[in-house]
Amino acid sequence: MRTKPAIRSFQYVAVGLYLIFLGFPLLWLISTSLKSPREFASITPSLLPKSPQISNYTEALQEQGLIRSMANSLQISIATTILVIVVSLPVAYALARFRSRLRPITNGWILVSQVFPVILIVIPLFMILRPLHLTNTIPGVVIVYMVWSMPFALWMLQGYVAAVPRELEEAAAVDGAGRARTIVSIVMPLLRPGLIATAMFTFISAWNEFFFALVLLQDPQLKTLPLVLARFVGAEGQVQIGPLAAASVLATVPSLVFFAFLQRRLTSGLLSGAVKG
Amino acid sequence: MRKPLIALMAASSLLLLAACGGSGDGGEPAPGEKITLKFQSLAFQKTTVAASKKIVADWNASHPDVQVEYVQGSWDSVHDQLVTQFQGGTAPDIIHDESADITGFAQQGYLADLSPYLSQATKDAVPQGVWDTVSTDGKVFAAPTLLQSYVVFGNSALLKQAGIATTGDSLSWDDLQANAKKLTANGKYGLGWGLKSPTATVLNLGMNFDAAFFEGTGRDAKAKIGDPELEVPKRIHAMAYTDKSIEPTSLTQSGSDALPGFFAGKYAMVVAGNFTAQQMVEQAPKGFAWEVLPPLKGTSEKQAANPQTLSVPAEGKHIKQSAEFIDFFMKAENLAAVGQGDWLIPTTQAARDVIQQATGGKQGWSQMLASGEQLTKAPFQSVDNYPKWKDQVATPALQEFLANKIDLATLGKKLNDGWEQANS
Repeated sequence: MRTKPAIRSFQYVAVGLYLIFLGFPLLWLISTSLKSPREFASITPSLLPKSPQISNYTEALQEQGLIRSMANSLQISIATTILVIVVSLPVAYALARFRSRLRPITNGWILVSQVFPVILIVIPLFMILRPLHLTNTIPGVVIVYMVWSMPFALWMLQGYVAAVPRELEEAAAVDGAGRARTIVSIVMPLLRPGLIATAMFTFISAWNEFFFALVLLQDPQLKTLPLVLARFVGAEGQVQIGPLAAASVLATVPSLVFFAFLQRRLTSGLLSGAVKG
Repeated sequence: MRKPLIALMAASSLLLLAACGGSGDGGEPAPGEKITLKFQSLAFQKTTVAASKKIVADWNASHPDVQVEYVQGSWDSVHDQLVTQFQGGTAPDIIHDESADITGFAQQGYLADLSPYLSQATKDAVPQGVWDTVSTDGKVFAAPTLLQSYVVFGNSALLKQAGIATTGDSLSWDDLQANAKKLTANGKYGLGWGLKSPTATVLNLGMNFDAAFFEGTGRDAKAKIGDPELEVPKRIHAMAYTDKSIEPTSLTQSGSDALPGFFAGKYAMVVAGNFTAQQMVEQAPKGFAWEVLPPLKGTSEKQAANPQTLSVPAEGKHIKQSAEFIDFFMKAENLAAVGQGDWLIPTTQAARDVIQQATGGKQGWSQMLASGEQLTKAPFQSVDNYPKWKDQVATPALQEFLANKIDLATLGKKLNDGWEQANS
């Protein structure tokens, strides 16, 4: 059935407006990063900078060790994402597929674990990690992020596993495939969108996390990006708006690249028609 | 059959190990080894960061056995960071923070008594009223370095046009009100005042009228809300709603949010922290002339002092050496450099003199330095639950009053009764 031209035009306009709505904050951020201090203090702010300048970028890059902190954040976020996916996948599969008394308890614990405020657990966590020499180290932060992200990742993955029809696994079993082969050859490919979505969630959680990094990392060489961005905020509400905007623009680049890379693999509809309705 | 699953688990372990590439936190040096002290600085402006690093470099050059490592911290998160570091025993050797924030740490015994270690020169250089803000039970838990005060900034052209002179040793609140009224005409206002978070302003400037707000100290303190305590909010309210000389939307803005209106000539004066002068220099339109008016005066020019401080953890292994570095930091030239960089007032007269000489008193420095002479300890600085009362009681009550939703008597009752709840 063909869409009428008028409706199609309306759809394009709606999508265009939605994209403008979504993109406006980024546009405003980029514009701000190119403005001079005098333009920030204008009572009638302009959408575009009157005389664009890159001094905010040079200042952000020179003064705050931004690149190093981005590399740290990237290292931590990627390690956390890989570990969370690798560890969560078999657990999520077991929770989704095997009936046991532990299942409701585990699910209950997953939910309960999400309600603890960070401030409540950070001191005990610090006391545990310190004798293990894991404070002020990247592995220490990765472990904490992994533990912190895993409950929700498990919750997400469990749902995706449950959505894979059992009939496909049964068919594989009939064809002689064992459990492991079935998981690797049948379930994993069908789970790909779920794995990608979970990876994105985990990556973003680690990329943006501030408080654990603040407490655990003291060495300036190990500071993550959110810690460095916080440096642009001073006492009494003073903010270095230009360098902060420039640093924020730069901070979005790695996550945009990561998303662009993964988004192409985030396809859906693989299960359509997999089993006869 | 199990191989893929085992491989997955093994891979996770390998990846975990592969991620292990960071540095450790190190330990204390063995006897005879060179000492390295960690100095966590919250310097914010580029100039102050540079000045602080230079102080560290100068110290390191002249003290080969006691090296100081500069660690950059952030004002935004220092309290939470210190809470954990004190608990975990990993606090830096030299801690930069404001006195109001570390008072609680001092009372909990986390900070060393510096009085046996600081030099007599440092002790003599700072007024007793400022030492009081960092002292308890005869112990000195920090060295005060920089101060801020609230000052009135004026648009020179508009003040001149209205025939308002800005000379003299002080500016009475009555004069401020009269000037604001005189400057209010043709859709323009006399005053813009960013009072989005009004408590600090009201309590600090309240000392102009001997406002105490609290009697006693610690958890035994009682609220004391009478006429002196309500004088500043009453006067602001009168200017906003009787004289209509305060631009009403500015009351809901932060101090820096109010600046664009000031630069655009929407109002002729603003009241803000003296450090705002730095934004005036950077952000004011070309040709815009501004000045700092003399310090505000009620029955006195007193304001509360909440100095930036340098302190040392009680568990620190090198308290003596840390205190020696603090002495070095407090030298007039050093303190002047960081004060000038942050547009804050040094706690020592010698450092103020250096800034006065370096700047010629221009860009408001004369008035700003003068406003720092009357800064002293306020009663609320000795009250344990003041931060809770400030956030949960005073700020919302003052916001309601300044929005003209409650009257002065109700404000007083809320401030008074709310203390019982906050201190419970």
